[in-house]
Amino acid sequence: MNASIPTVSIVDDDISVLKAVARLLRSAGFNTAIFSSAQQFLDEHNPNTLGCLVLDVAMPKINGLELQQILTAQNSELPIIFLTGHGDIPMSVRAIKQGAVDFLTKPVNDSDLISAIQNAIETNQMTRQERTKLNELQQRFAMLTPREREVLSHVISGKKNKQIALELGIVEKTIKVHRAHLMEKLQVKSVAELVMLSERLGILSSPLV
Amino acid sequence: MNWINIVWPMIASSILTLALLHLIVWFKQKQQRAHLFFSITAISVAFINGMELIVMRSVSLNEVVFLLRWVQVPLLTIWVAIICYVRCFNTGRLWLAYMVCILRVCALILDFTTGQNLFFSEITSLKQVAILGGETITIAQGVLNPWYILGPVSMLALLVFMIDASITLWHQGTDTARRRAVIFSCIAFFLLVSVGQAVLVNVGLIHSPYLASISFMPTLFVMSHELSYDVIRSAKLAQSLQISENELRRSEQRMELAMTAAELGLWEWDIVHDHIWCTDQARVLYGINKTERIDFERVLKTLHHEDCEPTRLTITTLLAGCDNYEGEYRVILPDNQIRWLAVRSRIEYNHHQQPLRIIGVSIDITKRKQADLDMQKQRNALTHLSRVTVLGELSGALAHELNQPLAAILSNAQAAQRFLTSENNHLDEVHDILQDIVDEDKRAADIIQRLRLILKNADIQFRPLNVNYVVLDVLKLVNSDLKHRGVTVNSDLSSDIPLVTADNVLLQQVLLNLIMNACDAVSDTDCIEHRQIHIHTQWTGTATQVAVKDYGTGIKKDDMEHIFERFFTTKAQGMGLGLAICRTIIDAHKGQLWAENNNGGGASFYFTLPSYYGETT
Repeated sequence: MNASIPTVSIVDDDISVLKAVARLLRSAGFNTAIFSSAQQFLDEHNPNTLGCLVLDVAMPKINGLELQQILTAQNSELPIIFLTGHGDIPMSVRAIKQGAVDFLTKPVNDSDLISAIQNAIETNQMTRQERTKLNELQQRFAMLTPREREVLSHVISGKKNKQIALELGIVEKTIKVHRAHLMEKLQVKSVAELVMLSERLGILSSPLV
Repeated sequence: MNWINIVWPMIASSILTLALLHLIVWFKQKQQRAHLFFSITAISVAFINGMELIVMRSVSLNEVVFLLRWVQVPLLTIWVAIICYVRCFNTGRLWLAYMVCILRVCALILDFTTGQNLFFSEITSLKQVAILGGETITIAQGVLNPWYILGPVSMLALLVFMIDASITLWHQGTDTARRRAVIFSCIAFFLLVSVGQAVLVNVGLIHSPYLASISFMPTLFVMSHELSYDVIRSAKLAQSLQISENELRRSEQRMELAMTAAELGLWEWDIVHDHIWCTDQARVLYGINKTERIDFERVLKTLHHEDCEPTRLTITTLLAGCDNYEGEYRVILPDNQIRWLAVRSRIEYNHHQQPLRIIGVSIDITKRKQADLDMQKQRNALTHLSRVTVLGELSGALAHELNQPLAAILSNAQAAQRFLTSENNHLDEVHDILQDIVDEDKRAADIIQRLRLILKNADIQFRPLNVNYVVLDVLKLVNSDLKHRGVTVNSDLSSDIPLVTADNVLLQQVLLNLIMNACDAVSDTDCIEHRQIHIHTQWTGTATQVAVKDYGTGIKKDDMEHIFERFFTTKAQGMGLGLAICRTIIDAHKGQLWAENNNGGGASFYFTLPSYYGETT
């Protein structure tokens, strides 16, 4: 399955519900993948697939909440919409706390489910984009030499070239070369951009070395 | 003093007294014919006695001729009477008896047709003979009738008859029979003496008075002795009867006292005459007047109209050969109150297997019936309560169970709407959707139907059914709840079990209870392996056994004896009724319900049900 097209995965042990929900989502234009147990989902689902997961709570062996825990432990970013027969408040609180995007009860109205799925897919896409960007940045950041990282930390803390040269005990001209290199490697044009980038990488507040 | 004039009448009077006595006895008890024949013998002897006296005193030839001829008549009656007397004791050959009689009758005929009488062709003279005490008596002398030999011959025939009868009796061996044998021999002997003496006198070999009547005396005494033996025995019997009658009366009194104390009504129905005798207590029980005559229809009239015809039918059917009738019915009392009676009775038949009478007792069981009814009501109420309780526990699960088809229906329907509004042709898809909607709707209806069955407070209906289907039905109901609680059910249902006679709904309730209990026992454990229930059905060889096994913490030893008691519970929310009701239900099915702790932890509940007709499916 092409990982770039959003797919809605549905897990429910009740085949008729599984079929009906999948049918509804197909009628609304979604790609669907159906799984009749949590284990089947874990075995067969591609973690890189874009989309979301519509998950039943009460299932034999591994139930919905347990599957959610397993996925969290695997750092999965797949947004989860719970769809349950008898959801109570403690259960929904627990699900939402564990990061579920929505908690719906059966029978579910099509528009509620579809909007929840759309939201979830958007979220997933955004997270996915963010993540791609971040990965890119991290790759660029990884290209920096240790000295360049040193210089970067000083630059983003707002120090002048002179101060940096003094602190590192090297000539100002060398600092300028390092600075130009790291700006080029990180593909930024201004110090402001550099600061924003550092913030996203999470290296602003902590010493880099 | 002429002693013959005194002795002969004395003999006659004593003989007549004896005859009279026995005649009276016979008159009182007509079936005792021996007394009659004895009387006839005795009277005949008395006649002979009189004739003897007249002959001995006679001086007229004609008179002697006349008397000697007529003496054959009482002789005949004596012969016949003695034979009849012997026959009264069921002995003596009949043909011998006839022969004796015929000989005697011939003698009588010849007596009147030949000569002057049977002894003499002609009496030539009367001789005065002197005997003891200076008496003189008359003795006839003449030419002997050649036929006179017939007298001794008939005499000998009678002797043969008597001795034969005696021998027969002797061989019977009983005391009574032997005593009679001796007595008959004695009679024979004395007969021989008496008749022999008369013959010798007539023939003229000895000169003595006629001693026939005197010689007959011992015969009569012996006969009378035998009869009086019976009389004495009757007296003894009467006496012991009196004693036993007294005892009977006392025991009757005791019985009556017991029956009054127990409020038992005793009755006896004479079926042949359709008349019912009963004690006063029985009349009170049936509300019938003390004086009223009772027959079968009268009793039926007192019964409740619903019980009347069935009772009639049962009794008339039973009269075809059954020995006992037991039943319960309602009686409507004159004040329109209803009284329940239980009846136990015995039917008696004659040797043609026709019913003669029924003897029985009736007892008032109204209080017991009322208590039974109350108990039944209570039990029904409890059963219903427990159903509602179980249902309360199940309601979440049932909501989920219903939610599944509803969810599927809604999603399917909305999908169809979307497909229909889209431009592409999705008719195939819509067709599938509609089929699915129909199926789901049926599924929902099924669940509701099952629910309604369990909730319904219907009367118990015992029907042959397969326990496996009941287990599967119940599992369908609790499926979602079990899943919700994360409990898995393993069922191992033997296909080789016979049908049982049971009420489907009650059995479902028992299973529901046991499964929910098992579920409660395991749902708190964290270990997935322990969140399991095992249901097992099998035929044990004597009964169908269902086991519900859990892997929970088991039952505490102290609790084990109490878990089936009412209002005993270990659950915070429990009422303590579930298992008590389960046991009541299984008891009502003539089965058993018990619990055991498993070796590997957890508890098992077992119940057994007897098979339907004891056949294997």
